[in-house]
Amino acid sequence: MHNALRTVARRAALIPVLCLAPALVPVLSLMSAHADEGDASASATTEYHTSVIAEGLTHPWSLAFLPDGRMLVTERVGRLRLIDPQDGVRDAPVSGVPAVFASGQAGLKDVVLAPDFADTGELYLTYSCGTARANGLCLARARWQDDALQDVQTLFSARPTKRGDAHYGGRIAFLPDDTLVLTLGDGFDYREAAQDMESHLGKTVRLNRDGSIPADNPFVGHDKALPEIYTLGHRNVQGIAFDDRSQRLYAHEHGPRGGDELNLLEPGKNYGWPLVTHGKDYTGARITPYTTLPGFEPPLVDWTPSIAPAGMTQYRGDLFPQWDGNLLVAALAGKRVHRVVLSEDGAQDVESLFAEINARFRDVRTGPDGAVYLLTDSPDGRLLRITPDKP
Amino acid sequence: MWGTLRTLIYFILAVLCGSLVGSIIQSQFNLAAISALGAEVPLPVWLATTLEDIAGFAPLYAGMMAVSLLLGLLAAALFLRWLTPAQRTAWQVPVYALAGALGIFVAFQAANAAAPMPTLIAATRTGFGTLAMMLSGALGGWVFARLHALDQ
Repeated sequence: MHNALRTVARRAALIPVLCLAPALVPVLSLMSAHADEGDASASATTEYHTSVIAEGLTHPWSLAFLPDGRMLVTERVGRLRLIDPQDGVRDAPVSGVPAVFASGQAGLKDVVLAPDFADTGELYLTYSCGTARANGLCLARARWQDDALQDVQTLFSARPTKRGDAHYGGRIAFLPDDTLVLTLGDGFDYREAAQDMESHLGKTVRLNRDGSIPADNPFVGHDKALPEIYTLGHRNVQGIAFDDRSQRLYAHEHGPRGGDELNLLEPGKNYGWPLVTHGKDYTGARITPYTTLPGFEPPLVDWTPSIAPAGMTQYRGDLFPQWDGNLLVAALAGKRVHRVVLSEDGAQDVESLFAEINARFRDVRTGPDGAVYLLTDSPDGRLLRITPDKP
Repeated sequence: MWGTLRTLIYFILAVLCGSLVGSIIQSQFNLAAISALGAEVPLPVWLATTLEDIAGFAPLYAGMMAVSLLLGLLAAALFLRWLTPAQRTAWQVPVYALAGALGIFVAFQAANAAAPMPTLIAATRTGFGTLAMMLSGALGGWVFARLHALDQ
């Protein structure tokens, strides 16, 4: 009898995994990746060529182009890598990177050169900082000198700190007035904080380049509101792009199960999370009964089911003139790059690109040469360059 | 044969009761959070969302409940074997209920450890919510024990 019970218990021990698996599929699918070598391929409208610039990158997250033709790539584990298009990845990571809390989704995130980088050598990094019990997103400024980071200063630390290692946001966009907008996540377990004006969670913040608060921020002087806040009601904003021509700021964010959004960011506006969303929780539960409510900005594009948007560029270049001004949105779960056409009235997702590469795309950037650069998300991530098949 | 089938039916009923009540409990926590943010949630919307969750959330929760009750009730049965028949009769219902509550608590922890997000079921983000959801596991264990007790 005891043996029989022991056998039953042993077999039953396997059941949790089998039964919990369906619940975790939407989430675990965000963690799996497989990338094939690319070559000449075609979208519905464009033929293009894929070449591998670098590989062996550990969960690369963001990419910046140095004026000398080399590139900087962040790896989530906390490394900043220097890549020469001819020689590949330099073995030694760039020195001077601040201490990073690397765990789960936490780690080193964006790297963005200052608009006047050629003169100042300034660049900005975002990263998760703190400990497993008390962490958040930090923004640092550094000076690029002798292929290293010098004079590293932490300019901003999101507060309050939180537990866990999910939902940091972490993208930066510079505005023409020499301020920057930094995106922040809701910390996953703290979704209601996205509506709390005394918390940075689930917000975007606008800062001067030295980390000080611009006097014309929308909530400066408001009682019980953090003056850095630029917009609120976000879940996990991982793509942001400023359109110089229309002077509009676009950002996309991860929804839960469904409800990924592309939004037009305007100062002081509320984008609704978690009160309004087209998504449900990963468990299938309703987070809110509402998809719209007065006073909350509706998305320009809603992606349901989710594509897991993780990076974005507005294409401005000569190699793909037919994409000029379009947003290219890198998708993790979708394993595509979505081409979004902007208009005065809104935006439309018109095409999915690069499906044949079969990889989770963490970031997409327009290179100074007009090529499209992609980072694939995996422990063996790659930097890919997309050019027209027939120039 | 009939005994095994009867136990299986009791187990299924316990899982159904526990997961149904658990789904209803978690809906109340989520809706209360939305309401606390200032959104008006009229009673019909409240009820409709709770019903929608029974379709959307309860199936997954039934899987978790089935696993946790299976393991919890097996553990409870092993424990009860150490007691005298009189003690067993007296303690069977509370022990099975406690096993159901602890079983679903372990299932929450296992799911949180396996999933990338900190907390899979939003209602269990707080201690109070976790205790409330453990009541659904306790209910499952209680239903199973009561049905057995009625037989005896």
